[in-house]
Amino acid sequence: MSTRREFLTVSIVGATGAALAPRLAGAAPKSMSVVHESSFIKPFDDFFVKQLAPAYEKQTGIKINYETVSVGSMLTRLTTIVETKSGPEITATGLNWPWLFDPSLVDVTDIASDTGKKLGGWYETVTDAVVINNKWKALPWGNIGQLEVYRTDWFKEAGVTKFPDNWEDLLAAGRLLKKAGHPFGFELGHGFGDNHGWLYPLLWSYGGREVDKDGKTVLLDSSETAAAVDFCRRFYKETMFEDVLGWTDVNNNKAFFGEQISCTNNASSILVVGKRDFPEIAKVTDHALNPNGPKGRFHMLNPQSHAILTHAQDQAAAKAFLRWLYDDKQLSAWLVAGDAYYAPFLHAYDNHPMWNPEPRYIPYKESLKTSRLPGWPGPASHAMSESVAKYVVVDMFAKACRGDATKDVIATAVGQLKQIYKAK
Amino acid sequence: MARAAPEVGGRASPRRLLEREGAFSWIMLAPGVLFLIAFVAYPFFYGIYLSLQERQVAKAGLFVGLGNFVTLFHDGVFWQVSRNTFLYTIVTTVLKLLGGLAMALVMNQAFRGRNLARAFLLLPFIVPTILSTIAWMWIFDPTFSVINWTLVHTGAIRTGFSWLGNATLAMVAIIIVNTWRGIPFYGITLLAGLQTISPELYEAAAMDGASINQRFWHVTLPIIKPILIIVTMFSIIFTFADFQIVYALTHGGPANATQVYVTYAFDLGMSAGQLGMGAAAALTMLPALVLLIIGLTLYLRRE
Repeated sequence: MSTRREFLTVSIVGATGAALAPRLAGAAPKSMSVVHESSFIKPFDDFFVKQLAPAYEKQTGIKINYETVSVGSMLTRLTTIVETKSGPEITATGLNWPWLFDPSLVDVTDIASDTGKKLGGWYETVTDAVVINNKWKALPWGNIGQLEVYRTDWFKEAGVTKFPDNWEDLLAAGRLLKKAGHPFGFELGHGFGDNHGWLYPLLWSYGGREVDKDGKTVLLDSSETAAAVDFCRRFYKETMFEDVLGWTDVNNNKAFFGEQISCTNNASSILVVGKRDFPEIAKVTDHALNPNGPKGRFHMLNPQSHAILTHAQDQAAAKAFLRWLYDDKQLSAWLVAGDAYYAPFLHAYDNHPMWNPEPRYIPYKESLKTSRLPGWPGPASHAMSESVAKYVVVDMFAKACRGDATKDVIATAVGQLKQIYKAK
Repeated sequence: MARAAPEVGGRASPRRLLEREGAFSWIMLAPGVLFLIAFVAYPFFYGIYLSLQERQVAKAGLFVGLGNFVTLFHDGVFWQVSRNTFLYTIVTTVLKLLGGLAMALVMNQAFRGRNLARAFLLLPFIVPTILSTIAWMWIFDPTFSVINWTLVHTGAIRTGFSWLGNATLAMVAIIIVNTWRGIPFYGITLLAGLQTISPELYEAAAMDGASINQRFWHVTLPIIKPILIIVTMFSIIFTFADFQIVYALTHGGPANATQVYVTYAFDLGMSAGQLGMGAAAALTMLPALVLLIIGLTLYLRRE
């Protein structure tokens, strides 16, 4: 090496080569991690750990670690992963999270497209949550729906043999049941799911909307919203009791198993836990779609999906794993292990054997067509998440139930929404 | 045998370095200082940096100056949160102070089983907050509440209170839990102060004809006052930034009736992904705490 320039050139080439060597070598990773919120259905998590991960390792030599976080803390964990750009390569997402973490998620359109073609196509409703600028950023495996959960024996005793089809009829049934000592219990406090799960659908079913499709024009101040608020106040006063105003997500489950309430809005976890721990109550528990309102019937969309994080060292390997996981052989068996808790968004599973053992879960499948994200018809966005995190719609209803005037609670909520959506 | 001449201008050996008081002090301080820089100073300044940006999770920040604070000051919920935080802190601090002082005075007396009693009284402080708060959730539960059950079965009330559903009672509930958890901290710290008081002082006061009350006001209180002030300062800081009790028991509900700065900041930052706004909400606690610390420090120095 005769000159400094030569030395420099050799050094740069050498350093670059060393840096690229591991990638160019194309060695598959020895292991990858998937992070999930703990499932209410333990066999669902067990199936991954005991069946899927070992099967994939046997085929490819890649070990798949399955990390779980407690219910309700997945968003915090995901925020930490994304902000530190470290941790699991594959994450579970819910609600509109793919929009929140869009820049940190890998495009999985190719897998979504192939999976859709093979398995009867995707439900259109789910694309609101996972398709961003025409790119799929997450692959949904199933919805955790929020439906009406009720005691069939007490409804019958009150003379209600079929679950009411509209809100007014449900109110009438609730009056009878409360009089018989079996009030309703719908969460109006600051939980993370069981409150939004029925209050947004109630708002929509009366024609109320938080924001317009442009994501900027706040539409909440309307006669339709006022009608929904007025109904909610009557529904609360005539069928429930004060505690529901302070409930979080555990309370309605506890109250249902404590035989304190005859009807609530929840995921199918109540029946799942009932069958395991309270078999006598499970025998007289059933589900129904949310009631119809003057402007239709709605449900909450909460698609559970998998996304690949951009910090993954080998994104191709992560994609290969998801492609394998979303093959019918694996996905179908995993959904069966999930005991129909997750309603799949693929039409090939509309009549899947997973629905046969327990027909009481079928309404969760039927609800998919009418399920929307909170903030609908506005697009999924950070503002939508802020509105949910600030409980704007939940507190609007809760304040009305505690006695505040309809116009006041709407005005307060509108003020908050205008700030959140940066509306003029 | 000739001895080697000492090195002049040579490198100092590690042993010599340790013998130099200035260097030794810095070596001893270094772990603590590094710890504080990593886990206190860095997050604190990063928090300030975040609060000056419109910074959404997974995205680059945009400098907005004090924009986040202005937005918060126009947010009705933020003012409700401020009122809640001050009310929660002031009431619990007074209750803990009185309860802790009473506990310390009793525990300072000689009686059978005193050590066992001291150990039991520490339990609320020892049990992890989240566990004890879950126990309190059951205590306040409408169906299973032991308080309601007792009141209803003794005929004191006809129907149970809605501890967590009623806005006022929900605030009372979180105050009760925080007070229950915080009293042992006051009690044990003040007990340590009480044990430094020489019995001769009490004997002298008694010989001068001082009553029990007079002995407390003129002997006990002046001596333990510095400890009382320090423990109150710590307690205010901890209570102001209390997260677990509120988050686990009410999550700020019903309708924000128990929402405090930290739970609101958490919801903004973590649930809404608005990291800049969340940091700003958390930092709004700072002025009140700084004023408090300055005031109490000045007072202590004067004393």
